[in-house]
Amino acid sequence: MNTKLRVSEISKIYPGCVANDEISLEFGSGKIYALLGENGAGKSTLVKILSGVVRPDKGEVFLNDKSIKLNSPLDAKKNNIGMVFQHFNLFETLSVFENLSIDSDKKNEELRLSVSNILKKYNFKIDLDIPVLNLSAGQKQKVEIIRCLIRSPKVLIMDEPTSVLTEQETEDLFVSLRKFSDEGILIIYITHKLKEVLSLCDEVAVMRKGKVVSVSKTKEEKIETLANKMVGENLNTIKKKINNFKYSEEILKISNLNFKSEDPYETDLINLNFSIKKGECLGIAGISGNGQSELFQILSGEIITEYTSIKFRDKEISKLNPRERREYLMAFSPEDRISQAAVPELKIYENVALNNFKSSNFFEKGLVNEKKIKEHSKKILSNFSVNTDNVEMKSQFLSGGNLQKLIIGRELITSPELLVCFNPTWGLDVGAINYIHETLININEQGKSSILISTDNDELLRLSDRICVIYKGKLSKIMDVNEVTPEKLGILMGGGSID
Amino acid sequence: MSFDLNFIGILIGAIMASSVPLILAASGELITERSGVLNLGVEGMMIIGAISGFALMVITDNLFLAVIGSMLSGLIISIIFGVLTQSLLTNHVATGLALTIFGIGMSAMIGKNFVGIPGKEFPLLFVNLKENVPFLGPILFGHSIILYFAFLLPFLTNYFLKKTKIGLIIRAVGDSPTSASNQGINVTLVRYSCILYGGAMCGLAGAYLSLIYTPQWIENMTGGRGWIALALVVFATWSPIKVLIGALIFGGITILQLHMQAVGLRIPVQLLSALPYIMTIIVLVVISRDSRKIKLNTPTSLGQIFYKEK
Repeated sequence: MNTKLRVSEISKIYPGCVANDEISLEFGSGKIYALLGENGAGKSTLVKILSGVVRPDKGEVFLNDKSIKLNSPLDAKKNNIGMVFQHFNLFETLSVFENLSIDSDKKNEELRLSVSNILKKYNFKIDLDIPVLNLSAGQKQKVEIIRCLIRSPKVLIMDEPTSVLTEQETEDLFVSLRKFSDEGILIIYITHKLKEVLSLCDEVAVMRKGKVVSVSKTKEEKIETLANKMVGENLNTIKKKINNFKYSEEILKISNLNFKSEDPYETDLINLNFSIKKGECLGIAGISGNGQSELFQILSGEIITEYTSIKFRDKEISKLNPRERREYLMAFSPEDRISQAAVPELKIYENVALNNFKSSNFFEKGLVNEKKIKEHSKKILSNFSVNTDNVEMKSQFLSGGNLQKLIIGRELITSPELLVCFNPTWGLDVGAINYIHETLININEQGKSSILISTDNDELLRLSDRICVIYKGKLSKIMDVNEVTPEKLGILMGGGSID
Repeated sequence: MSFDLNFIGILIGAIMASSVPLILAASGELITERSGVLNLGVEGMMIIGAISGFALMVITDNLFLAVIGSMLSGLIISIIFGVLTQSLLTNHVATGLALTIFGIGMSAMIGKNFVGIPGKEFPLLFVNLKENVPFLGPILFGHSIILYFAFLLPFLTNYFLKKTKIGLIIRAVGDSPTSASNQGINVTLVRYSCILYGGAMCGLAGAYLSLIYTPQWIENMTGGRGWIALALVVFATWSPIKVLIGALIFGGITILQLHMQAVGLRIPVQLLSALPYIMTIIVLVVISRDSRKIKLNTPTSLGQIFYKEK
């Protein structure tokens, strides 16, 4: 059965921003389509329109040449359009089965049968009777997909599905998506990751600033051509000069780091020993959940462990809290920009003030020195090319990329000796990633050190001087970056050994 | 003080009666909160229910109408809360507090003409059995129909939330209104319904006070029971059965400490009066220690304003 989906001259205008500007696109079943664009290009608005969550100001959607009205999510369901959102639309405290049954008209027994058929057919392994909050991100996504499959969809829309998945889970997802496509389901795949477009999709439409700028077959495209279309300018690929170890001085030395957690969802760290030299970047690779966030928190001083020695320029700092460590010119950029690094409800300059040092004089006699903080914030905004100069703006209105620039800028403006960052480009678009990478390379070139904890192997290989892998709370041996290949990393990340 | 079985039976019966308004109001509020709405107006809705029930009884001389009327009046003033929080998107906490203040003032105004009027006797069921069956008689029999309903309600609520589709939808809305809305559920409608139901139950709880428990109108006669009911819901971690247990403990210790005061034990009266509050909290905290269960029962979106993308 053939399915054709056509959107015609769709426009959606939000105050101060044209999210979709006369978008016209055509899709046919049996193929996987990519909708590619940077954050804020209008992809998400378009798919929200297709799934009935948002109503367009203008334009029409045609399914098999018939105009359809998508005034609510129910309308999308009725027209067999299934949607897997980037931020899962699941009820965390309900069981998997309850999540599936909530919008199904079937009787419980009937539903259970059809769900178990789907599980068998696509080889999904999910316990239906545990609460969703106990599932991994990959499993949650499968629940979302199953929810769509129950309704035998004609169209399946995936909004940035891999942003929360491990590499293995991504592979599995692609296998499933190809299967669905072979079965005649039209798949629209929204992403800003170029590699995924090339490896998965047949056709690609590139969006920029609310407009479709190109539609082409992926066979005819390369990473560079797509990147340029997406950003609208020629991106210079940055490459790090491998550090020639001008310096031999050790900035930070960690010995006997052991951490035993009482929280069953945390990972214990087992006997970590490593050191960072002046001017180098140490990359720590690994699949998320192998102890990275615990390690980050121990380095930043959020968790204080006993019997561990952390020496910063030969001074013992293992018992110091984050603020005291900052006084030693260490800086930290946590993984979660919204909840750990910044307070979204606060204004930009207020977020800057949160990072106050004794030396920064943001506060005098218990009073806030607003003028000083604002000047300081303006400096950050301009030095780190955040695309606003309004320090009064609430931080939540910054895009992910700009918020990350603000956070990194806030940390770096005091020229720290060591920056510890955790997934600094998670969820950012190419332009912002490039900028952050350049910044991180720069600080090494200025003779400052960095620790880069990341789940993105390309990023690690690009930025690190030395790399090691964390697996189940243990560190692999530390290797020079030129003896490391993605394959080697893959083996170590899966718990294998390479010697 | 005699400790014969019959006396204990009568004591337990009294404890049950005193916990009825708490069970009713807390069960109603529990449904409201499970949909993600925090209505702090319980005390206000209760007292409005109390005066409306009593006034209707005096005017119509019909207890059935009085009970139905008290539920309707609780429901009607909860509409104010619904319109403000769900349609005009005001803050739940501030609106709820305002509702309580409004309810207390309003009831005092209406009630002026009803002070001192004696209540009417409310029909009790199985009075014969109460007197003839030792020990169990006063516990199981001789109560009003509302008491039997109140003791059934937590179990019905539990079944409703866990086993029915509508219960599932209410829990889903309380967990994540945005997800629910994206699934095509009308979040505003669900939350309105839960608010109105909560209002009706609080109204009924008020009527129990003014028509049955102490059949008369006294200004401010709810005496903070609404707040206790609110606290019960939270300390019972949104579990209807634990609400029942909490209400019984609270009622039980209230009655017992009155007896202890009467007996003249050498314990300061203030300490005895504080005992029900302290004990209820301790017991509920102890039986609700499982942090995993708390997480599963807590409506994640409680008190959050929901507005739909357009």
